[in-house]
Amino acid sequence: MVNDAGQLYTMEGVAAGVIMLLTAYIVISTTSVYTPGDTHIPDMQLEQLGSDVLAMMDTPDNREEEESRLVVLVKGGVPGGDTLRTEFLNNCKMRAGGDDDDLRAQVYLTYRKMNGDVSTIQLSSSDPGFTGRENTVRVTRWVHLPRGSTYGLDNLDSSRPHAVLVEVLLWRA
Amino acid sequence: MACMNEDGQWIVLMGLLTALALFFLALIINQSALVGQTTAEGVLEFPKNDIRDLRLAIFDYYDDYGELTLLQQQHYVDDIVRISLERKNAVVYFWDGPQQDVSGRMLRPVTIHYYNGVTKYDETVYY
Repeated sequence: MVNDAGQLYTMEGVAAGVIMLLTAYIVISTTSVYTPGDTHIPDMQLEQLGSDVLAMMDTPDNREEEESRLVVLVKGGVPGGDTLRTEFLNNCKMRAGGDDDDLRAQVYLTYRKMNGDVSTIQLSSSDPGFTGRENTVRVTRWVHLPRGSTYGLDNLDSSRPHAVLVEVLLWRA
Repeated sequence: MACMNEDGQWIVLMGLLTALALFFLALIINQSALVGQTTAEGVLEFPKNDIRDLRLAIFDYYDDYGELTLLQQQHYVDDIVRISLERKNAVVYFWDGPQQDVSGRMLRPVTIHYYNGVTKYDETVYY
């Protein structure tokens, strides 16, 4: 025999079930913060480090000094590129604690040739361990190249000052 | 609904209100993490270094401005504009106006435009 008692209890039970499910969902999702793709945060730190080092190298040591270390090394052209990389990495590794031997870099230079074309050359010699699959960051710095002769920069009009872009590819091996 | 005890309705009602209040508080805490993250990312993704560096390059140009011929000036502007477009994926342009007396110093207004597809930056600076 079906009687019609207890309908309110059924509704209450359903409502309580829904509330409990919602509460469980909210509680669990509150405690877990979903951050998609966190890898960009250490990338940004590396980028900031590289950018700061380039800015430091592009600052003359004192007021009397006309050219910054970066300008001198860029003027040195391709042979100066390896020195640039070594000094850049040494500056990056200046920190407390153990040696940071995993940092690798590759230096490129972009300038405009005499005929107006944009040309990008590799300043430092190729890293033997570079596969092209590394998770690299790119830091850049505009360098004001004054008049005067440069070494190893093909087709650069030395009679005028240039704005050239130094690009450093930075990664951890 | 016969024989139902109707005592304690206030207690049940207050229980429901508390549950709802807790529900909304949890929702706010849940969302706050997301809001903080997107704000922080927005700040981090702003190309601060690129814009600072570009401004420095442009100021370097205006340091040399006086001693450059018209053609050399055009070449230097092209250096920055074309290399920005090719290597930085940024549309950059800048120009200057006639020198003006600003608090006793002769400065020229330099207008800088920068747009890398995400961030647009315009400024007029007296240099």
